[in-house]
Formats: sequence, structure tokens, C-alpha cells
Amino acid sequence: MAENRGAVEVELDPVEYTLRKRLPHRLPRRPNDIYVNMKTDFKAQLARCQKLLNGGTRGQNACNELYIHGLGLAINRAINIALQLQAGSFGSLEVAANTSTVELVDELEPETDTREPLVRIRNNSAIHIRVFRVTPK
Amino acid sequence: MSNAKERKHAKKMRNQPTNVTLFSGFAANRGGKHHNGGGKPAQTQKQENILESHSGTSQQQETKVTHHSLSDPDVNEQSSSKVMFRKKGGWKAGPEGTSQEIPKYITASTFAQARAAEISAMLKAVTQKSSNSMVFQTLPRHMRRRAMSHNVKRLPRRLREIAQKEAEKAVHQKKEHSKNKCHKARRCHKNQVLEFNRRQKKNMWLETHIWHAKRFHMVKKWGYCLGERPTVKSHRACYRAMTNRCLLQDLSYYCCLELKGKEEEILKALSQMCSIETGLTFAAVHCLSGKRQGSLMLYRANQYPREMLGPVTFIWKSQRSPGDASESRQLWIWLHPTVKQEILEEIKAVCQCMEPIKSTVCTPDPLLTPPQEKSQTELPDEKIGKKRKHKDGGENAIPVKKFIGDATRDPQQPCSWVSPATGIVISDLTMEMNRYRLIGPLSHSVLTEALKAASVHTDGEDTETTPHCWWIETCRNPDNVSLHHRQEDFFELLRGITSPGEIPAGTILGLTVGDPRINLPHKRSKALPDPEKCQGKDFNSEEGICTRSWSCAQWKPLSDHTDDPDNEKARQLLLEGVPVECTHSFIWNQAICKSVTENKISDQDLNRMRSELLVPGSQLVLGPQESKIPILLIQQPGKVTGEDRRGWGSGWDVLLPKGWGMAFWIPFIYRGARVGGLKEGLVHSQYKRSPNIPGDFPDCPAGIRFAEEQAKNLLEKYKRRPPAKRPNYVKLGTLAPFCCPWVQLTQDWESRVQAQEESSVASSPSGEEGDTRRREVPCAATPEKTLKLSVNEPIEPEEAMDTECQGQAGTKRVGDQDAVENNGAATGRLCVIRERKLLKQLSAWCGPSSGGSRAARRAPGRGQQDLTRETYLSVLGHFPRGLVWVSLSLLRKGSPEPHTMICVPAKEDLLRLSQDRLYFGPQEPKHSDPFKSKVLKQKEKKKMEKRQRRGSAAPEGLAGEDPTAGHEALTLGLWAGPLPAVTSHCSRVLLGFVTQGDFSMAVGCGEALGFVSVTGLLDMLSRQPADDRGLVLLRPPASLQYRFARIAIEV
Repeated sequence: MAENRGAVEVELDPVEYTLRKRLPHRLPRRPNDIYVNMKTDFKAQLARCQKLLNGGTRGQNACNELYIHGLGLAINRAINIALQLQAGSFGSLEVAANTSTVELVDELEPETDTREPLVRIRNNSAIHIRVFRVTPK
Repeated sequence: MSNAKERKHAKKMRNQPTNVTLFSGFAANRGGKHHNGGGKPAQTQKQENILESHSGTSQQQETKVTHHSLSDPDVNEQSSSKVMFRKKGGWKAGPEGTSQEIPKYITASTFAQARAAEISAMLKAVTQKSSNSMVFQTLPRHMRRRAMSHNVKRLPRRLREIAQKEAEKAVHQKKEHSKNKCHKARRCHKNQVLEFNRRQKKNMWLETHIWHAKRFHMVKKWGYCLGERPTVKSHRACYRAMTNRCLLQDLSYYCCLELKGKEEEILKALSQMCSIETGLTFAAVHCLSGKRQGSLMLYRANQYPREMLGPVTFIWKSQRSPGDASESRQLWIWLHPTVKQEILEEIKAVCQCMEPIKSTVCTPDPLLTPPQEKSQTELPDEKIGKKRKHKDGGENAIPVKKFIGDATRDPQQPCSWVSPATGIVISDLTMEMNRYRLIGPLSHSVLTEALKAASVHTDGEDTETTPHCWWIETCRNPDNVSLHHRQEDFFELLRGITSPGEIPAGTILGLTVGDPRINLPHKRSKALPDPEKCQGKDFNSEEGICTRSWSCAQWKPLSDHTDDPDNEKARQLLLEGVPVECTHSFIWNQAICKSVTENKISDQDLNRMRSELLVPGSQLVLGPQESKIPILLIQQPGKVTGEDRRGWGSGWDVLLPKGWGMAFWIPFIYRGARVGGLKEGLVHSQYKRSPNIPGDFPDCPAGIRFAEEQAKNLLEKYKRRPPAKRPNYVKLGTLAPFCCPWVQLTQDWESRVQAQEESSVASSPSGEEGDTRRREVPCAATPEKTLKLSVNEPIEPEEAMDTECQGQAGTKRVGDQDAVENNGAATGRLCVIRERKLLKQLSAWCGPSSGGSRAARRAPGRGQQDLTRETYLSVLGHFPRGLVWVSLSLLRKGSPEPHTMICVPAKEDLLRLSQDRLYFGPQEPKHSDPFKSKVLKQKEKKKMEKRQRRGSAAPEGLAGEDPTAGHEALTLGLWAGPLPAVTSHCSRVLLGFVTQGDFSMAVGCGEALGFVSVTGLLDMLSRQPADDRGLVLLRPPASLQYRFARIAIEV
């Protein structure tokens, strides 16, 4: 893949290729997974987490733990949400963070018939914060 | 007695024979008994009895009856008779208290005669019923009984005779148009199939027709019967299915054209019909290898950019397929039925394929049926044979095919053509295959659960008895077996991928699957995304840690998953798609498809075998008897353009051989797919912001036809409402509420810009000149003088702005004047700009220049502006009458609808918008309606004429007809006659029209798609300040309120 990538960088020309970023690889989501984005209002996302921890509207059980995922620019916000949750819980919540790298795919669509479509891979950092309930001592 | 009361009484009595008095009847009776001693008491008594019974029981009916039968005698006559009565019998004892006027004597004979006449009239009236209602309906409510219409004996005896007659009549009427068989006979399978076959003759039915007809509003469109939308309320549910789950659509009505021949010959021929400027063509490397599906626009040969024919998608058969040794290639072009005729003709022309072949595709039908009938020779009855045929040979596939020939073309008409020069064979494979579309992230789970790759036959089994010899043949070759296993592996990998959008666009995967009916679940279930299921592990939300290592959702570091071989494969699939050899499928082979269709085990047989299982409900194992069906999976990229919601609405198309439609349809549904109709397809394309076929292709013949039809329907609908209950579009300033006058719009803009150029060249950009020029335009176009005034008034502020801008830009334009004049000479027809380079340029211009990357590009502001000017004119040189496909999203309130007008905002609108955050847009001043008086006059004229005609002879009527014929088209509230200048009709200059628009659930605000004139767009953009460039106003046809929207061109 590495040599392929190098070749692309040499070849890449806006006349011959159009860049299309693909969405990050999605995974099946459990109810206690929260993916943080930069589009939704911060408050709304925080409220959503809070709601999950407190037990939802329809009498469903309160989650004991929550996974907050943030990718790229949203890492900051994910951390922020987790800390806010912790601060508002009077010591009943703990956080544990984990970082990872996510591979993102950029597609290069050819503009001419003679070229193959190409794929570039770049990496982006991600954070996965586990927010869980502890019994206060 | 008061005057009013008297009048009321008179009214009541108007059509009554005078002796029938309603409320004074009893008094009259008494009077008669007392005073009518002479004459013929017996007769009168009898008569009175009749009267009494009638007036007592059914007054209502009586009045009705008499009204009709005795309408001849005038009021005068009646009054005279009244007088006579008073004189003669004094029989009448009205409320006036007429007992003083009792005559002294009565002449019996005259009295009896008069009574006899009245009696006979009355009897006649009673027996004759002239209203529309049935007898029992005329009864008062308290006398009605249950099931009166059914059982005559429940009626009062006196009405029975009439009711009897009526009932008999009704029976006769029913018999005339009804089926000659009872319900049970009609429902019996044989007759039903016959009936279905008969009904398919007019419009083609899809294989899922019956299923759809039970659940959908069906429409007859494009020669097919198609489900338009579900009968259940499911707009939002279908949207959710598209976004989060899985939506299933039957697209079998799409037509497939097959081209066979040498690759270079095909490419050479087809290259005339497309242009590289609109994107990749048939020759794109990855498409040509058979790895991917391509899509493009077809034009009439060498006519690009004019004479668009329609959009198509295509797939090449991969080259190194096992069965294919020769260099002959196979190409399938899939297209919408509305554009089929033109494209087929054109392809035939460019390939020079004019020689019809009768032995390839058309003949299978006659060939297909005899073997089946042969197999049922033991059943001599023709009808039974027919029935069997339908059951065996794929429910309705074969009849459908047969009926295509019957209905749309005669069976002798060929469906394939060969070219003697190039050797290309074109065949029309319409309805030869089923095409199902699965949209949404769960389509992977639905597919992988519903379909299982066919089991490979080992050599040891005795294979002679099975009908699936083609599969046994292929299984003999180890290469084929290994290929099958690789395909299976790739298919199984789909399970772990959560969204079809992650796979490269247009990936093709061939597969051979077993009969999907075998492992049909007992109940409808929901297929779930499956790292859990794949591992056979229960989903434990509390613990939530799965062993699937590549999942970062498990709050596990992602580092340790690269060594997983499965993961490596999945990665390859995501990056590069399916390798070329795995795209091979036997569905390309017509003979195999035919045998697969013929050898389908019927549902009945399958169910019988199931019932014979030793353990009820256990898995049915057919072994080698199980059908193997070749299918082709094609990934459909969702939203590929634009910035947001990438990959939305992506999914898979499944191609199946005909006859197997329902066998795949039900398993998909049992895995939790929701079914959508045409409307859901429209919503899908709208949220994808892609043009919908055929409505959004105004430059292709199908689009024009569609627009005409739509305009006709809308007009009819509009006319059905009373004038007071429908919008007056003339007053609203909407010139064309039902259609979009593209040609006129582009023409107007062309002349407008030209005029501007001229005025700027003359270097006198004074308001005066601009005004006069502006005045001339409507003058030339509008026939009415009153109109001109009303149109010109609101334009004033806008003009001031215009001229200012001209003053600024004028100097720059001088140099480019030559180019502009060239434009004028090369006036082209309407065309939609699809050149990618140009669209990219336009989309860069459309956005506000404050965006990050764009600002960088635009850093030398002057240079960019100059570039704009230059290219602006070069664009106009190429496309003087071009339209561009744009998407609009509303800034605040409002949800646009089709035919909404896209207008250029005036300067003060933008100013107010920047000042007032809550400002939602200007309002259009009300227009006057010059046609209203005309319509009224016309009406009066008609009235007069009617009166005249009634009064006088024919010649005058003829003379009066001529003027009415001219104005026949006038409808109150619609613009009559030729349209005036469309752009400058309202206070804001018109830029274009919306073709699809609604509240978008995907974005959460109103969104619209439509076309604008390129000339107008560039003109507008060049005048808007850089920071809020691309703002436009939208106004629905039935509203005066403009709303702000942002324009975007997505490439």
C-alpha cells in the first residue's frame, strides 16, 4: 500500500482526479455508544449522555457505563463532555480514556477514461472515553 | 293569517291538486262528511280514504310524486279550480274558515267526473316513481327496517309492488356488466390466472404485482402497473428505513439493452453518443474491465451538448470469465422506460444495427412454452395445461413476456438486431430480469441473511436426475469451484460492513445462490448488523465486549487487529472493491437463465415437501434438487456530490433471472426490509440531490413529455375547484404555475444580458436609458397595455440597482463585446450544462468566498474577479441558453414545492437580511388581473347568447359563436395567451424554477432542487457582494412571500 500511496501523490492532479472523502468506517452501535460530532449542539449531546446515565424516558434501565467516541476535531468535545458529566455527578462517575488511530479513506475519482480510480489512506486520531458509575465510598 | 304564513301555505299547495290539503286534510274530511250528503257519498268516501292514507303515511313522497306528475296545471288553473271548488262543493275547508260558502246543491255527474279525473291522475302518480331514489329510501325514517332493500316483505304492503319491480330491474342491470361466475369460481386458481393474464395485456405487470396491488396505490405508468406509494401512512417510516435500516424497491421496470460484439467496435459506435466532458464514458478503465458499474448521459450522435437522450447506467461483462473465450464482449445498458425508445433507436443507428434477428430473444417465448406444455401432455385439457404452465414457469414471467409482445408490439416484431458491418448484436432484454434495490445500512444484513451461496456438488452424487445440469457442469471444473468460494467469501464479508457506502461506488459482485425460500424464517424478523451474529454470540449490552477485534466501538484499542486475516480481506474489499474475476455471474448467459427460470420448483411443491418433513418445522434439505440461481449484486453509491451526508442512501441492486421475483422478494421482506414505491424513489433521489428521471431532464424528449403531462394534470385539478376556492395566479404574479417555461426563461435572460451589454457599450448608463430599454421588452412581448403598467411599476427599485452595477462593471465589459455578439449569432437551443469542469467552476463561484480553502484560492481577489468576467463570457459563448442543476436550502422558514420560482434578491433585501436576523424575506406586491373583466364579460356574453338562442333563430347564434371560440381558453386565475417577459414580470427578477422541493427530513429544513439560467446566475453572482454570494429568493406559485435560500451546485 505504501508504494501505491507514494505513486498517487506524484500523480495527483486536480484535472485528472476528483477527491472524494469517504465516511469513516462505521460500526454497529450499542445503545450506550455516543459518537460525538461537531454539528450537533454541545448542550444537546451532553444532555443525551446525561439522559442515558439517568435512565431514559421510557423507563429503560439507566446505563452503568457509557462510551463516548470522538474523531479528529471532535476529540476535544468528547473530552469536554466526559469531564462535564463527571463534574456534574458529585463523584459517582469515573472516566477512563483510550486513544486510537482510525484509518480514513479518500477516493480519487478519475476524470479521464484511461485512469483507474485510486484510494488514499490517511490516519486520524480518535478517542474512546468510558464513563462508568462507581459506588461512592 | 299573516302574509308570510299565507305565502308558505301557497308554496306548499302549489303543485297539489287542490283537494289534497296537508294540514287541513282532516278538517276537510270532517267537512266532507258533514256537508257532502248529496252527490255520490260512497265514491268520495273512498277517495278520501286514499287521500288520507297517503297524506298520513308519506306526505313527503306524495308531494314529490305529485310534483312531477301534475306539474302541467298552472297556478292559474289551480286557483280557478279552487274557485270552482268553492263554488261547487265547498268541500274545501281551509283555514280561512270557508264553511259559510257552502253551495246549496251539487251536480253529481260533473262532480263525479272531476273527481274521477283527479283520482286517475293520482293513481298514476302513485304508481309511477320518478325520483332517483329507491322506494324504501322515500320512506320516513321511523318506517325503515333493516335489510329492506334485500327483502321486499319488510316494506309496507302498498309499496311492495313498486319495490318488487325495482329489485328486478336492479338485478337485470347488475347482470349486464357482471361476471358470469360466482365469487368462488372467480377465485379459483385457474380462472384467476386467466383473468390476470387478460388484465396484463394492457399494461405490463411486474412479478411482484399482486403483492404490490394488495398494499400499494397502483398507477399505470410508462406501460407498466407500478406501485406508487404504500397505502399505509409511511412517509417518515420509509425515510427512516433508508437512513437507518433497509428499504426495498422493485425496479424491474427498468429496461436493459444488451450489446454484444467486439469491444472496439462497440466503443467506437457508442463514443459518438457521449462526451468525456460530462464524466467518464463507456471506455473508463475500471468499468470496461467489468469491475464497476458506470453511469453517464447519452446524447444524440455527435450532438453534444444538445439533444440529450437520457441518463443510463451500464455494466460490462468481465473479460476473463471462464465460459467466455472469444474476444466478444457483452454490455448491458440499463435505462428508464421513458427514455428507452429514443435511446434504442439511436444506438441502433450508431451501431448500424438494422437487421432484425428473429431467433435470439423473441423466439424463446414460443420455444419456452412448448416444452412446458409437452411436460404436461398427460393433461389434455388446455385450460389445465395453461394453469400448470403459470404455476411452473415462474408465476407470471412467461405470460408477462408474452403479453409484452401482444400489447406493445406484435410478436413478430424483433427484439434484437444485428449489424452486418460491425457484427454488433443489440437485444432488448426488458423484463428478462428482475432488479431489486435495497437502500440503507441494513441492506448488507438483509442480503447476507436472505441469500446463501449455492452448495457445490461433489462428483460422487448421481447428477443425472437433477435438472440443474449447468451447475453440475460448472462444479466439475475446480477453477469454477474455487471462484465460487471466493465469491462466497466476499459475500460473507459484507456482513461485517455496516454501510454499503463504505464500499467503492458501483462495485459488482456475481454470485450463485441457493433457493432463498428454503431458509425462510417462520415469522417476519429484523436482520441486525452482525459482528455479534457473525460470531454466533448474543448481544450483551451490559457487558458489551465482543471478540470481534476490529471493532473500535468496543472501547478496545484498535492496535491489535491488523493480523486478523478476515479483517485484511475486509480492508481490501473496502479499498479496492471486488476483484475482477469475482464479478463473473452466470446471469450473463441467457441459456442458463432460461433453464433456471424453467426449473423453478413451484411454491406449492415446495410447501408440500415441507409438510412431508419428518420433523415439522425443521430445515428442508433438497440436496441436488435445490435450484441454483445466478445473481448479480451491484453497489449503488448514495449521495456522492456535495459536502454533507456522504454516502446517504447507498445500497445494493440485485439482478435476478425472471420468474424468481417473488421467491426473493418475500425473503427480503421477512428479513426486515420495508418496501417503497415510486414516491419513495422520488424522495430518495431528492434527498440525494440527484435529478430524478424523467422529471428533471428538461432537455430530453422524455422530460418534455413528462412536463406536458404534468401541466395537463395540474391544470385539470386546478379547474376542478371553484374559482373562489383556488388561487388567482394572475394576481399572485405567477405566469406559469403548472409548467416551467425554460425556453422562454433562457431567451429572456439572453436578450436581457445582451441589452445590458449594449447599454454599457453606449457608455450612457443613465436610468433613463435603462428604463426605456426595460419598457421595450415587455412592450414587445405583451399584447395588453394595462399589463405593461402593472409590470413596470414594481421594477423601479431593482432597475436603479441594475444601472448602478452596470456603471461599475461597464468598463470591463467593453473589451469582451465581440464575444457577446458571437453569442447572439450562435443562438442554440435549450441545453442543460453537464460539463464537469464548468460545473466545478460554477460551484466554486456560487459559495460565499469566506470558506477556508476557497478563500485561499481566491486570495488574489482581483484576479479571481477578472477570471470570472472572462470565463463568464466564455461560458455564455458556449451556452447562451444554458440551464444548471442547482440545489437550494432555505435559510429559515419555508418549504418549497415544485414550480417554485427562484428569483434574484434585490440589494435592499440582502441589506435587511444582514441587519435583521429574523427577516424572512420580501413580499411580492399584488398584481392586477386584466383577465378578470374579460372572463366576466365572456360569461355574460355566453348568458346573453343563450338567451338569444332561446329567443331567436340560428343565424344569430352562429354570429355569436365566433368571438367565444377565440376566448375559449380563458380560465379565471390563469394567464391567458402568450406569456410576457417571464424574468421581469415580478418585482424580483426570475432566475429559474424548482422541480423538486419539500421539507427535507435529512437536513431538517426546506430543500429544493431545480434549474436556473446560467446567464442569469452569473449575472446575479457578479453583482452580489462576495460574503453573501449565492443567496436567492424562493417564492411558491401560490404565495406572495419570498424566502431566502442558498444556492449550491454540487459536482
